[in-house]
Amino acid sequence: MSTKVRRVYGYLAEFKNASQLYKAAEKVRDAGFKKWDCYSPYPIHGLDDAMGIKRSILPYFVFIGGLTGFLTAITLAYTTQVGLYPTIVQGKPANIFTTAAFFPVMFELTILFSGFTVFFGLLALMGLPRWNHPIFASKQFSRVTDDKFFIAIEARDSKFSAEATKALLGEIGGANIELVEDDSE
Amino acid sequence: MAHQVTSKDIPTNGEHLEISKIAKLQFISGIVGGVGLIFSIIYLWFGGGVEDSSTSEHESSVAHGSYAFSWLFAVFFILTIALGGCFWTFLHNLSNSGWGTSVRRMMENLGFVFPFLFIFCIPFLFPQVQQYLWEWMTSYRDVVGDSSNAKEALLHDKNPHNHLLAAKVFYLNPTFWLARFFTYFIGLGFFIWLVRKFSIAQDTETKPSTKNLFAARKHSSWSMIVFGVTLTFLALDLVMALDFSWFSTMFGVYIFAGSALNSMAVLILTGIFLQRAGYLKNVVTQEHYHIMGKLCFAFTVFWAYVSFSQFFLIWYANITEETRYFLLRNTENWNLVSLSLVFMHFALPFLALLRSDVKKKPKFMVGLCCYILFMHAVDVYHMVIPERGPSVELVVNHAPQLWIGGSWVGDILALITTVAGFLFFYLRNLTSAALYPHRDPRILESANLHN
Repeated sequence: MSTKVRRVYGYLAEFKNASQLYKAAEKVRDAGFKKWDCYSPYPIHGLDDAMGIKRSILPYFVFIGGLTGFLTAITLAYTTQVGLYPTIVQGKPANIFTTAAFFPVMFELTILFSGFTVFFGLLALMGLPRWNHPIFASKQFSRVTDDKFFIAIEARDSKFSAEATKALLGEIGGANIELVEDDSE
Repeated sequence: MAHQVTSKDIPTNGEHLEISKIAKLQFISGIVGGVGLIFSIIYLWFGGGVEDSSTSEHESSVAHGSYAFSWLFAVFFILTIALGGCFWTFLHNLSNSGWGTSVRRMMENLGFVFPFLFIFCIPFLFPQVQQYLWEWMTSYRDVVGDSSNAKEALLHDKNPHNHLLAAKVFYLNPTFWLARFFTYFIGLGFFIWLVRKFSIAQDTETKPSTKNLFAARKHSSWSMIVFGVTLTFLALDLVMALDFSWFSTMFGVYIFAGSALNSMAVLILTGIFLQRAGYLKNVVTQEHYHIMGKLCFAFTVFWAYVSFSQFFLIWYANITEETRYFLLRNTENWNLVSLSLVFMHFALPFLALLRSDVKKKPKFMVGLCCYILFMHAVDVYHMVIPERGPSVELVVNHAPQLWIGGSWVGDILALITTVAGFLFFYLRNLTSAALYPHRDPRILESANLHN
């Protein structure tokens, strides 16, 4: 066994049911913690409000992505079909009034770029893909996919302290409070 | 989180709209609609006469022809809204939705206005009115007459324009037209009556059960088909047939997109006004307005998608019979109306409805829904009225006129009449039953909606 120093990931506390988790989340939120998370076997309605999660900034990225696609389409279609090499079909004009013919391209590229921005933006914001998560070091955590609810408060949080945080988790009804250490290399 | 609504908050006998609160409004709208309808019928019927080429007679026929178009525009406007109400009712039952249980009765009430609107369609049954609106009827009467073979008669007519009608005479003939016209109102009218009846019967059952709920869902299935056929062919017979040589396979969908959007706007307005009057307080929340706003947003985009597709395919293919519709609507100042639809019927509501928080603000939605309804009136105007100039043949200084001076007065009068009549029947439906299905098992699910 090596003697290397392990980094503390944070405290993990177990809760019996969704309503306990919900109430505990409200208290952790009110205590002012920022870097923490709730884990549950299924989605819980309104938990994001209880955790005080702000609106994602993803929509702004998507707007910019969509706008980029829209402008790309206009530029691509207009410069090639009107500017560089005007294509006359059925005596239709090759000027600004041709724009109607570009609408499908504009529409599709807007959708495509927005879709890509959603997909890659979401992965980036969630920090995915990744090989491992420090919380997997906890044995009891595997029950989160079955019948247990957890709250983990990270050591990175500025309000984290070895004793006070543990006490807080106990106070709000957490059981099996465990200090999780990062066991990845 | 807001207060959880429980069965204690739902009155045992349901909420009923007090007749005294709306009696005045209903009375006024009934008077305006009734008087307007009677005068319109008298004017259109007795004033119309048979067209004569002498000058003074022709002037009078221009005025009557012009008003016939005003009437079609106004009636079609309210028809689309009532049809949309039928659509939302059937869709809500068919999709087994829980969210909208508390607003479902409003949908049923809106849809059930449809059969009553037949009385506003009575003028369309007179040849005196038909002669201005539907050119094919005049051609048919002149050419076919008593001849037993309509197709042969039209095919050998000396006017080549009528040869086109020969190919369509299996559908465009007065007997079939009349049969269809009655079938629309009797057919869809019956189904919306039936589905609404199931819903209301559930309110007063002695032994509360879900029997009526399941019956409503079951019968909504073929009702939806009847709705689709009725809306499509009603639009074809009333509006597309204004120019029988023109055709568009997108036309039914185009009308549908507009009617679904605008009936949803009417539903939002009704909900807001009822809440302001002190009803629906426990069961309708901003979450419902959020969902209905989202549906408005979706159908704004769908309307743009369909109307652009119709334009785009016709513009691209450039076939003579098809392009006439858009050529006419881009001649002279009609071009401005066409363009205004792009920016004001699509772009502006699209941007206004984009954010989620504005959909939850009743004050904002009242303004926006009125605006959407106004733009829908412009949309219907743009479908019907450009055909007026070529049809009534007003010639000034040897130049045929696209626009008839002063005709807008008739348009507005007709619109006021039909909208007042529509309001009268809608209020009648609202007072005739509880405002929401208080015995529906999912009323609490709907009241506690969160999305």
